[in-house]
Amino acid sequence: MKRLILLAAIVILAVLPWLANNRYVFHIATMIAIMAPLALSMNLMLRIGQLSMAHSAFMGIGAYASALLTMRLGLPPLASLLCGGVLAALTALVLGPVFLRIKGVYFVLLTYAFGQIVNLVFQEWTSLFGGNSGLYGIPKFSLAGYRLTAVSQYYVLALLFTAIAYWMVRAIERSDIGAILQSLNEDEMLSRSIGADALSWRIAVFTFSAAIAGISGGIYAFYIGFLSPQAFGFQLSVDLVVMNVIGGTSAALGPLLGAIVVVPLPELLREAKQYQLLIYGLCLMVFLIFIKQGLVSLIDRPRRKPA
Amino acid sequence: MSALLEVQGLTRRFGGLTAVSDVSFAVSEGEIFGVIGPNGAGKTTLFNVIAGHYKPSAGTATFSGRGISGLRSDVIARLGIARTFQAVHLFAAETVAENLRRARVLSTSHGPFAYLRSFGTGRREPDLRDVATFVGLGPLLDQTAGGLAYGLQKMLGIGMALMVTPKLLLMDEPAAGLNPSEKRAASALIRRLRDERGISILLVEHDMPLVMGVCDRILVVNQGKPIAIGSPDAVKADPAVIDAYLGDDYEFA
Repeated sequence: MKRLILLAAIVILAVLPWLANNRYVFHIATMIAIMAPLALSMNLMLRIGQLSMAHSAFMGIGAYASALLTMRLGLPPLASLLCGGVLAALTALVLGPVFLRIKGVYFVLLTYAFGQIVNLVFQEWTSLFGGNSGLYGIPKFSLAGYRLTAVSQYYVLALLFTAIAYWMVRAIERSDIGAILQSLNEDEMLSRSIGADALSWRIAVFTFSAAIAGISGGIYAFYIGFLSPQAFGFQLSVDLVVMNVIGGTSAALGPLLGAIVVVPLPELLREAKQYQLLIYGLCLMVFLIFIKQGLVSLIDRPRRKPA
Repeated sequence: MSALLEVQGLTRRFGGLTAVSDVSFAVSEGEIFGVIGPNGAGKTTLFNVIAGHYKPSAGTATFSGRGISGLRSDVIARLGIARTFQAVHLFAAETVAENLRRARVLSTSHGPFAYLRSFGTGRREPDLRDVATFVGLGPLLDQTAGGLAYGLQKMLGIGMALMVTPKLLLMDEPAAGLNPSEKRAASALIRRLRDERGISILLVEHDMPLVMGVCDRILVVNQGKPIAIGSPDAVKADPAVIDAYLGDDYEFA
């Protein structure tokens, strides 16, 4: 019931930009709707106990691939968008068997290094990616002859993908896959002794979550119309973790709430200028100390009692 | 009786320490086979090598004619070798029924592709209630696993292993930490696993009366090396065993 009320609140929040009918509000809302699926994809990684710093790179791969496939090969934007997701997923599928054997801080560092390499490629391969001066002239997204030009239209596109990503993560959570992933995370030795192939499941999750990140990247590319490597630095991966921590990792609703809170925060603090980062940091600390289980814990009573 | 599990010259070294040294034995189909030895004799390591948690440094293990040494633990489990743990391993926050159901899901949907394949068939075997009743947890299906008495948690561990319908069950000290009446129930359960479900058993156990009571044959290891193998009576009378493990004043209760 509480969840239903909350979902209704999110829906109301989602239509708010039309009530405000302000370009700037629409922009913030669109950025939230682009970041929310990314936060959800990070949530899947946290569910398998792996903190990935590669997700900003997956978003970047999806973004540059969607842009370039449309610009250079003239692919329809929707096809490019999906190809960007597939390319990010394939990258994860190739890396997964090597990376996911490694756990904890080593996995974090390995994915961090991978992210840096990808970013360096975006920066240095100027003939293809435009380098640090950026990639310009990305055409507008269009579907069946209908071109999206207004921010509000991109907001709808991003919102639609957020809904799809949320629904998929919820479906995973509720299905046997949710129970399998939870089992592997709680007691891998036991799960494997019963026959569960831990590595294959982790690779599947890594691949799927990279696909979500890639598609989000594509939507971002068509919306902003300009790509620069800085947008896909490791700071973005850290932000995705922050969204999960603030929103809570135990349910799919968590990263959604996290994105709603974290994405506009720098904007709200813009007035404070030089204190912006300081206040942002303090907000984070307050959350980490007082609401350890994230915002969802305030809504859902935690199911798990402390052992 | 043909050999279900055959172990040849199995050795496992950790750096300079040889935890398991040149161990050979065979478990026949329908046999309850015990492994005993003092603490640190390498029994659990031997288990972990057979179950695929460690790779052997030398030697081979064959299950139903198929080489299994070096395979991953989940692959070995899917071939039909289940195991129980010395310490309690379960999903403490879930109910007994959910623990058993998860064990079935983890075994049928062991990987993403198996999960997709299982959609059509939707295997519901073995039955949760059936297994729960078999291990004495029938009335407790809705209890939270973490809240069960220790002995019952161990029974749940056996129940979860049964959800994979194994041909061979490796049991690592099933009686450790149990009170006398629970121990009697555990011995009875071990016999019933073989008699009613046709599961062969490889048992590591410290409780001498239990081992001597249920096992058909026993392997005695000391400092990683096998020192005797044979029927309970033969092993009990073996001077090397008495010297290393049982002690001069050992009397079979």
